[in-house]
Amino acid sequence: MLTALVLLPLAAAVVVALVPGRRREIHLPLGIALSLFPLALAGYLFWVFEPAAGFQYVVRVTWYEPWGIDWHLGVDGISLPMVVLTTLLVPIALAASTSITNRIKEFVVYILLLEAALIGAFLSLDLFLFFVFFEAMLVPMYFIIGIWGAERRIYAAVKFFIYTAFGSALMLAAIIGLALTHVSQTGSASFSLTDLAGLELTVGTERLFFAAFAIAFAIKVPLFPFHTWLPDAHVEAPTAGSVLLAAVLLKLGTYGLLRFNLALFPEASVDAIPIMAILAVFGIIYGAVVAIVQPDLKKLVAYSSVSHLGFIVLGTFALTSGGLQGAVIQNVNHGLTTGALFLLVGMIYDRRHTKQIVDFGGLQKTVPLLAGFFLFMSFASIGLPGLNGFVGEFLVLMGSFPALPSLTIIAASGVVLAAIYLLWAYERVFTGVPDTDENRALSDLSAREIALLAPLAALIVVIGVYPGLLLDKITPSTEAVIDHVVEQTDFVVPEPGRIEDVHVAGDEG
Amino acid sequence: MITPPEISWLAIAPDLALALGAALVLLVDVQWKPAARVLAWVTGVIVAVTTGLTVVQWAQSEPADALAFSGLITMDGFAVFARLVLVAATALGVAAGWRFVAGLGRRGAEAIALVLLATSGFSLMVASNNLVMMFLGLEVGSIALYVLAGLARERRQSEEAAIKYFLLGSFASAIFIYGVALIYAGTGQFEIVGIRDLLAGFVVSSPAVIYIGLGLVVAGLAFKVSAAPFHAWAPDVYQGAPAGLVGYMAAVAKVAGFAAIARILLTGVLDLSGAWLPVVAGISVVSMLVGSVLALVQGDVRRLLAYSGVAHAGFIMTGVVGGATDAVLFYLAIYAIQLIGAFAVVAVVAGPDAAGSSIDQYRGLGRRSPLLAGAFTVLLLGMGGLPVTSGFVAKFGVFAVAWAEGYQWLVVVAVVASVVALAFYIRVIVVMYMDESEDEGALRIGPERWVLVLAVAATILWGIFPSSLLDLAADALPI
Repeated sequence: MLTALVLLPLAAAVVVALVPGRRREIHLPLGIALSLFPLALAGYLFWVFEPAAGFQYVVRVTWYEPWGIDWHLGVDGISLPMVVLTTLLVPIALAASTSITNRIKEFVVYILLLEAALIGAFLSLDLFLFFVFFEAMLVPMYFIIGIWGAERRIYAAVKFFIYTAFGSALMLAAIIGLALTHVSQTGSASFSLTDLAGLELTVGTERLFFAAFAIAFAIKVPLFPFHTWLPDAHVEAPTAGSVLLAAVLLKLGTYGLLRFNLALFPEASVDAIPIMAILAVFGIIYGAVVAIVQPDLKKLVAYSSVSHLGFIVLGTFALTSGGLQGAVIQNVNHGLTTGALFLLVGMIYDRRHTKQIVDFGGLQKTVPLLAGFFLFMSFASIGLPGLNGFVGEFLVLMGSFPALPSLTIIAASGVVLAAIYLLWAYERVFTGVPDTDENRALSDLSAREIALLAPLAALIVVIGVYPGLLLDKITPSTEAVIDHVVEQTDFVVPEPGRIEDVHVAGDEG
Repeated sequence: MITPPEISWLAIAPDLALALGAALVLLVDVQWKPAARVLAWVTGVIVAVTTGLTVVQWAQSEPADALAFSGLITMDGFAVFARLVLVAATALGVAAGWRFVAGLGRRGAEAIALVLLATSGFSLMVASNNLVMMFLGLEVGSIALYVLAGLARERRQSEEAAIKYFLLGSFASAIFIYGVALIYAGTGQFEIVGIRDLLAGFVVSSPAVIYIGLGLVVAGLAFKVSAAPFHAWAPDVYQGAPAGLVGYMAAVAKVAGFAAIARILLTGVLDLSGAWLPVVAGISVVSMLVGSVLALVQGDVRRLLAYSGVAHAGFIMTGVVGGATDAVLFYLAIYAIQLIGAFAVVAVVAGPDAAGSSIDQYRGLGRRSPLLAGAFTVLLLGMGGLPVTSGFVAKFGVFAVAWAEGYQWLVVVAVVASVVALAFYIRVIVVMYMDESEDEGALRIGPERWVLVLAVAATILWGIFPSSLLDLAADALPI
């Protein structure tokens, strides 16, 4: 089943590529239709997934035996939400791309290839395979930014590519090192996550490997101070690119920290808690402060990502039940809300061809629906109780407090700053009286655009009101991560950090 | 009274077939003045026969009786695999350069004969167990290449390339043979296996002579594979020589040079590895850094490929440092195919008058000739070592063995250099897809199309299913 999940988008890409280029009008609808198949399969997977620790639906086929490389896929509570999120956002991102007329076929193909690589990366249990998918997604994303982006697209695309490729190069060296350590310790080669997690590493090597993986993922997240590629990439990318970049690609970084760094290098992870947490909190505050002063709406959302992803990293490295649950759930939340915000910014841009906040004013008079959705998504992003952002941030802060009280208090101010930059932006763009003719002449959301935003909004409410839907599936896996770290090290989860002590809505565990 | 060595026809059959083939091409040309098409058929038959003979060798090669001609020639898996790569490179190279060859008119047969001779020489070189024999092969191959570089003599650049290549190349050959003499002085042996046995059995009394000799041999071969700091000729030659054939010339020189380096260092003087490992690692680092950094600033695609070739020489050296002949052979096979494919694209873009190869000519190629640009993209990414391409598997292989050998720092430098390398390959892709073209209209692709199809298929298929070739390379052990 998981193999099919990876191959479906790939097959879809091939099908679209085979449609003759002159049938321009059918490429996009065909791509959207085909991308519904992975979504359906992922939905089914979510439905049948049993909440339990360990990987399910594991597929393991030998790829190249002497090197111990396997086609090894599996899903657990941490990767499951990411896969569903990916498959959900791809059709939406495609459907939001009707304004692209130039080389639409290639665009659809690249998006579908990107989807295949993303799903593959989330499902890989073999480090070699993971690296292959991790790198393979660079190429489609690079073209998406570089061909269909805004004016400075090439600069942004190259910067994106180089930053990420540099990080992953170090990770590759560490992967080779791990695999060879496995050879020397057991006599056989393996890249399997579970095999490699059982290695005995000396403290020095473990720290080095941890650093190599952490830098690769920190660039992807992006964690301060590796974030400088992000605003460029986001601002220049077309809407679909921004949505997928923010909602899914960045999550690979946080997902990687959670899945690989904690599992492979527990000792070093525990040692690195202060560094990672400080960087995370710095990112939260820095991203928020920079977002406040952005004159460009899209850049504002991009910097808000830096801030929000800091919460996820903080939760991850708090190493408490609540922290990890919050991190995973916040992965999904940020994907939904920021994805939606980028969609909205794209819709505004399609109407006005500007993203500068000063050009707007009083839009809620002319486009009340758009303004409503924007406000709703802003509230979700800020963390208004009853919406999804609240659950995630609450869990992260709650989970981090016992471990890192002072940093958590600072991080909490990030929530307030989020309210400032988003609501202030809303005020400047949407409230007041429309001051220019352009702003008065705008048309409100079309049925198609509402159809794009509605499912995201619905999920935001569902997760906000009944987080148990997700938490039940996530919790056994996050608990397993903590158990693994506790087993491998003399780390003690600070009281009250474990699941028995944290009672949150929807969590009956 | 000298007893002539026993003749083992099979051991030299491919080399012989190629050399006779070269003569045959010239004779056919003189006798019938055939059309280019006939020449192509003759060449095809010669290459096919050679391939067949090499495959027979592969089936027959057994470590026990790998030595022939009293130890001058070996028929071990390593030699046969390298030969297969050389023959494949010849077939691809002739197809890639066919437009140029056909355009030469009466002189076309000369070009074919030179290509066959060059392959014959290098094929002898990779199978030599004797340093003097190796030198003979090297010279036969190299001299043919010098002439090939100057074949497009209407262009001044081509003449310049030929002269430069000849002067520097013969200097390097001289250094090589001087090194061979010193090694002989130190060990009393020309035979690589003999040197190995000697070093294993005795404490060498005057190692300095051997060290100096070894250093000179490595320097001479490093020139042939364009490893820094012996790479100065490469950009000019790559730029000046006939576009279609450059890929072939660079590929066979690299394959033969690295096969010789690997055979001498890993079979012959492995016991002295404490002395040469740091030197080879040093050459590797310098090549990777010089190649990738200088490639970044090139405005000409051929020069870019030349400097990237220097970087690749550094990457392959990491495999030598790792002591794994199979990783080296795999890398060589993959790189040879991709390089020839890339130069086939260069030849198409340069057009019939071979007018330059400035990066500006690639502007908007993605729009003008989507398939050509697509193939080039795959090949460039493959050379850049992106996963899902065979280039990644190849890089992974050499890095892994170097790491296992304790050269972690080398691997770290290498991965960083790979990123830089990706950056300049990406630059070409940017120009192809993201810039607008001044000219419109698709480019005419001739026989190059088959080269591109094969090269792209090899890049992707061996990227996803590398086992077939990796297993083959793993069987190709030197004696």
